[in-house]
Amino acid sequence: MGAMLAITAMPAQAAWKSYINRELGFSFRVPGELKTEIGTYRGAIAGPRQTIIYRSMEDNIEYKVTVMTFFQAQAEGATILGEREYMFQNGKKVLTDAFGRVEPGKDAVYGRKLIVELPDHKGRTTAAFYFTKGRLISLEATVLPANGDFDSPDPGLFVDSIAFVLSRTEPGAIELATPKLE
Amino acid sequence: MVIAALAATSAPASAAWRAYISHPLGFAFAAPGELTMEKGTYRGIVAGERDAIIYRFADDNIEYKAVVIDLAGKSNDAATLLGEAEYLFQEDKKLLMDAFGRVDRQYGRKLTADLPNNGGRTTAAFYAINGRIISLQATVLPANGDYDTPEMGRFVDSLTFFTVRAPDDAIELPEPPK
Repeated sequence: MGAMLAITAMPAQAAWKSYINRELGFSFRVPGELKTEIGTYRGAIAGPRQTIIYRSMEDNIEYKVTVMTFFQAQAEGATILGEREYMFQNGKKVLTDAFGRVEPGKDAVYGRKLIVELPDHKGRTTAAFYFTKGRLISLEATVLPANGDFDSPDPGLFVDSIAFVLSRTEPGAIELATPKLE
Repeated sequence: MVIAALAATSAPASAAWRAYISHPLGFAFAAPGELTMEKGTYRGIVAGERDAIIYRFADDNIEYKAVVIDLAGKSNDAATLLGEAEYLFQEDKKLLMDAFGRVDRQYGRKLTADLPNNGGRTTAAFYAINGRIISLQATVLPANGDYDTPEMGRFVDSLTFFTVRAPDDAIELPEPPK
């Protein structure tokens, strides 16, 4: 009887779905209803950039994939990536800053995975950053105070779901459209 | 007075630090001791085999080296290749520090690790610029034993990519033999 009560008291969880964008060359898994937006980013080195954002919200966790293109500055990818990582954690309390690696062997893409606490008790964000084939791709999952489970495995599940070798993507992944940038 | 004089005479003789510059490679740094240069090969699973130049110094049982890895033909993968080089540096070592590095508009990483089997402590900085990975690495050997020496930090932090920042008397680094 107690177990039954516990089950019915749990919040309803949306199913995790797999998404793929063949044009941009990656796939990931996320729960909730995914929306597409165009945003902006500005870094001292990267300059002003339009961004493509895939965003969803589930159980008071915000999930966000951001894509920026740097085809003319691929050789500067290491510094552009470093600047993005630095700006992400600047002014926040860094809990983890570790190597990230996606794909095995010679297909490996190296990046960073960071976990930070947001100022003013606004939550905890887990993020991963990669620069590959002229694109800077970041995944960020923020557990909001309304959720409160800052050790939830869901942010890690999200950022670790990224794949660049698309044959690894599970069959039936939902195809994502790429919005046109100016 | 006697104590001070004794202390002064018992301190190990340290070589003077000199500034070095490479205009073709676009960087400068400072190091103590005699310079030796060698050609080498860097290997990474993603990078494959890459030509490398190593500028090496030794002083007071600290090894200093500036490593230049040629990314010719793969410079568009610099972000991943830099990450791989950093990863390989710390692999199988006890990582003590892994932090942002930033020099002259270039972002990289600075790492400190203890070597296996009490082999010493090494501090390194890694940057990717102009189709090359530039890494400065300083290793305090057990014979020195002062693993908190500021000399490691002095070496890796002496790096500059704005060659106008190098001292006027900086010594031009030799180019590797063809």
